[in-house]
Amino acid sequence: MHKQLNELRDAFHKSTEEIQTLKDLEAIRVQYLGKKGRLTIALKGMGKLSPEERPTVGKLANVIRGEIEKTIQEKKEWLEEKKIDLEIQNEKLDITLPGRMPERGHRHPLNLVMSDLEKIFIGMGFSIAEGPEIEWSEYNFDHLNMPAEHASRDLQETFYYTEDIVLRTQTSPVQIRVMENNRPPLRIISPGRVYRSDEVDATHSPVFHQMEGLVIDQNITMSDLKGTLSLFAQKLFGDTVKTRFRPHQFYFTEPSAEMDVSCFKCGGTGCRVCGSGWIELLGCGMVHPNVLRHCDIDPNVFSGFAFGMGLERVAMTKYEINDLRLLFENDKRFLEQF
Amino acid sequence: MQVTFKWLKDYVEIDTTPEDLAERITMSGTCVETLEEVAPKVQGIVAGKIDTIEKHPEADKLWVCTVSVGKEKPITIITSATNVFADATVPVAVVGATIANGDTMTEVAFRGITSQGMFCSVEEMGLNTSLFSKEQIEGIYIFDEPLTPGTDIKSYMWGDDHILEVEITANRSDCQSIYGIAKEVSATLDTPICAPKLHPMGEAEGEIQNYLSVEIASKKCSRYHATMFRVKKIEPSPHWMQVRLLNAAVRPINNIVDVTNFVMLETGQPLHAFDYESLKSKKIVVREAGKDETVVTLDNKERALKPDMLMITNGTYPVAVAGIMGGANSEITKETELVLLESACFDKTSVRLTSQRLGLRSESSSRFEKGLYPNLVEQATARATELLLSIGACELIDGYIDVYPEKQQPVSIEVSAQWINDFIGIDISRKEMILYLKRLFIEVQTDPDNEDKMTVYPPDYRQDLEIREDIAEEVARLYGYNNIPNTIMGGTTLVGGKTRDQQLEELLTDVLIGSGYSETLTTSFTNLPHLVDLRLADEKDQVVQLLNPLGEDNSMMRNTLMAHQLEIIQTNYNHKNTRGRFFEIAMTYHHNDDPKGLPIEKERCVISAYDGIDFFGLKGLVERIFASLGIDGVEYKVGETALFHPYRNADIYIKDQCIGTLGEVHPIIVKNHRLPRRTYICELDCEMLYEAAQLEVRYIDLPRYPSSSRDIALVLDEGVPSGDVVKIIESHNNGMIESIDLFDVYVGDQIEKGKKSLAYSIVFRLPERTLTDEDIQGVMDSILKDLNEKLDAKLRD
Repeated sequence: MHKQLNELRDAFHKSTEEIQTLKDLEAIRVQYLGKKGRLTIALKGMGKLSPEERPTVGKLANVIRGEIEKTIQEKKEWLEEKKIDLEIQNEKLDITLPGRMPERGHRHPLNLVMSDLEKIFIGMGFSIAEGPEIEWSEYNFDHLNMPAEHASRDLQETFYYTEDIVLRTQTSPVQIRVMENNRPPLRIISPGRVYRSDEVDATHSPVFHQMEGLVIDQNITMSDLKGTLSLFAQKLFGDTVKTRFRPHQFYFTEPSAEMDVSCFKCGGTGCRVCGSGWIELLGCGMVHPNVLRHCDIDPNVFSGFAFGMGLERVAMTKYEINDLRLLFENDKRFLEQF
Repeated sequence: MQVTFKWLKDYVEIDTTPEDLAERITMSGTCVETLEEVAPKVQGIVAGKIDTIEKHPEADKLWVCTVSVGKEKPITIITSATNVFADATVPVAVVGATIANGDTMTEVAFRGITSQGMFCSVEEMGLNTSLFSKEQIEGIYIFDEPLTPGTDIKSYMWGDDHILEVEITANRSDCQSIYGIAKEVSATLDTPICAPKLHPMGEAEGEIQNYLSVEIASKKCSRYHATMFRVKKIEPSPHWMQVRLLNAAVRPINNIVDVTNFVMLETGQPLHAFDYESLKSKKIVVREAGKDETVVTLDNKERALKPDMLMITNGTYPVAVAGIMGGANSEITKETELVLLESACFDKTSVRLTSQRLGLRSESSSRFEKGLYPNLVEQATARATELLLSIGACELIDGYIDVYPEKQQPVSIEVSAQWINDFIGIDISRKEMILYLKRLFIEVQTDPDNEDKMTVYPPDYRQDLEIREDIAEEVARLYGYNNIPNTIMGGTTLVGGKTRDQQLEELLTDVLIGSGYSETLTTSFTNLPHLVDLRLADEKDQVVQLLNPLGEDNSMMRNTLMAHQLEIIQTNYNHKNTRGRFFEIAMTYHHNDDPKGLPIEKERCVISAYDGIDFFGLKGLVERIFASLGIDGVEYKVGETALFHPYRNADIYIKDQCIGTLGEVHPIIVKNHRLPRRTYICELDCEMLYEAAQLEVRYIDLPRYPSSSRDIALVLDEGVPSGDVVKIIESHNNGMIESIDLFDVYVGDQIEKGKKSLAYSIVFRLPERTLTDEDIQGVMDSILKDLNEKLDAKLRD
């Protein structure tokens, strides 16, 4: 019996040497370990052995069984890996071929600028206020301290819906609505569409966008105005940007100023974008006491500042867009650049 | 406003360069937009006296001149000009000189004779040809007076000046003059100023009364001041005055007209000179125009007048349009013997509206429009009188007439120095403030008992100074805006941020951008016929029509965003751009039935696409939007939007409220508007969308028991919508149905004609136990029975 088992072992090892496929390996497994396999049959013959022989033969049989199982397992893993190695050979890629980018849309440059500005001001504690684009002429002019006979009220300057209703020429009426309905402290920005009766050309459009801001609190000074707006300019164009304030005139504010920023392209030495080294960015000033009084805010207790800028101009300067009409044409090749 | 550097220097000491001056006055509030040297290229042109002139021996059309140009020997110039003559003084560009176009002169031989330069025309000297007469600009310029040969023409004609283009803000009408700006320069540089010399006008009335009476019959004229002169000689004005006018872009005419223009530029007060005899009456009446009146203005155009336009009349008919332009009937001519000089103050709005309605603007009207002050009137008269007498043009007829019904009252403002410091955010002494104000001719009175208080008296020309904030601005701008420290606001800390709707709008934008759609920007204008053409409106619709649109095409405020999206698609398709995917979130504007209300504005989102997309591609995007905003229970019903293909469109409902529409553009509209064959558009109402949004997320336990699924293939009439089938299946959900998914739609040979097959996979699950076949079979049986009864659905074999 010993001899028989040892022969079986030798035969097994011999037959596995040449195995090249998982299928042949499986056949050998069945041949030895299957229900009718050689080792299974051999073990069935154990009953015929004497009680003395049985333990030693049994032991040998188990050793051989373990050996066969182990060899088959090892052989199986080897064959599987060999198969993968073969498959890999057929999976060569030219990794320099272009990738497939998931499609994405693009934000409009004007709205990109608008959301940049919104983020900066929200970071400084401002909220975003909105109001109607078709507005009472009272809100668009009178409450903003605009003289009754001012030329900007002319039919040549402002679009009228009725005698008393205009397309707002600035987003400032939103500030009036905010001041009428809320008490200080106030910090708001009001971005939006405005309208003026200008024919379309490379720098004008009857529809354009502004962002205005308003701060009202106790003890707000002109130096706060300067500090806040200079900080804003640095956040928008970078820390090295310088600002300068020039006296100006607006009906809504007194004193009034215009703020220039040093050119963020050339650093202020003068270039194609800026000309003189400075770029006019916004108008601003301390809110006129007549405006506060109209909104029932006591100018002896509260003060504040307001500012406003044209977003088309900011976008055109920032991205060096030379014709405003491009912003409204919506050619895909333009839109996809942003 | 155009001012010249040298003219400013006549009144104010300027101890710096034009560039530095421009920078400094810009920073103190007088914004210099451009600064240019006059005729920057011209150099070396000199005055030459033609000594002899002879025909060129070898050429018919050339002349050989010997010309004295101030050198030892005369030079030779060859010319083809026909207007030069012996003894004439002409501008000569000698060898080495540069003319206006940048050409530098060299010796040139003409048929054997060498020309050592050339004679110059107005244009070659770099002068503005529009400021000269026709004879003066054709041919060589000939000087009116003999000049010393060799005189440098650039400094003679322009005085080597610089021109500053200055932006004057609406509140500073007093700066519409050289002297007004000189005062700003003086305040900025802190240097002395010297006022123009005035003639002492003496007493009113006098001899003039024999010639004239003046009546103001309209509130639109606050003051009318008249003086009269006897003409000594009408001739060109002196050279120095012509140079000043030319550099201010005003054409010299004759000594009398030039003085009125000079004084207007210098003081800001427009003047008008009438030929007294041609007035044909002894009076001036300022009144509003009558019905059907006309006047021929100095530019020889007949103007039809409207009843509220302000006129200067001779008591019978108009002789000038007040503040805008004189009449041709009373113009100064060479024969004029008596001059009536008008210096008056007219209402700014009246002048602006009249000038606008007549389409007639002048240097005078543009000054009146900004608003002048009545006290300027007499200064201007005194200055004009001084000039007319000193240049020898006229003699004054004794006295003057001054009709000035309501005198301008001086203003005083109380202001605290501490308040100025607190308001501006600086810390300077009252003494320093007073110094700044004095530089601006603002008088300050202080109270010895109160170290803080100031009583401020602005000069009469500063009508913009009314309240303490105005005074704070004057102090701040002379202190220097850029010397004010930059500080960060104190006070209450505010959180700021976006409202819920603003956040949802941002989310909606992100979803669309992330899905491959690009944001667009369009105007708010459209027109009703265009919308009717697109079947988006009816001619009778009540819409928001503007009273004064820029053309009929832009006459209406849009009530839909779809029309502009079609234009965008058209543009892109036309430019051969592929795969158009666009959106815009913007307002639409709607008629308000309440006559007391503003028009209604609605925020909407429009989405459009062509190329590589179908109805379900766009519908899928809409579903993505709803999913991202946490909105469910959305229903789609075939709608009636006539822009769309009748079988490929849907109205979108949330809880029985229509919140938008989507569809394929109707093939006829596609054809008429040259759109891509398959064009898809969707428009959603943002406010309804935001209202329905549900962004709060709550975690639901993951299932612990397995699910079971059943697939059914149904045969139905082709017209039965899948939505109806799903609704019936859904109605049998007793808590076991987890999902219902359509996975196949089939129409074809395998089934009966007029029928279709829809296949669904229904997934069942219970949270508390494993389902049995019996559980599921019960539900399936009732679903199939119901589908059969209601939709005549049969299981496919």
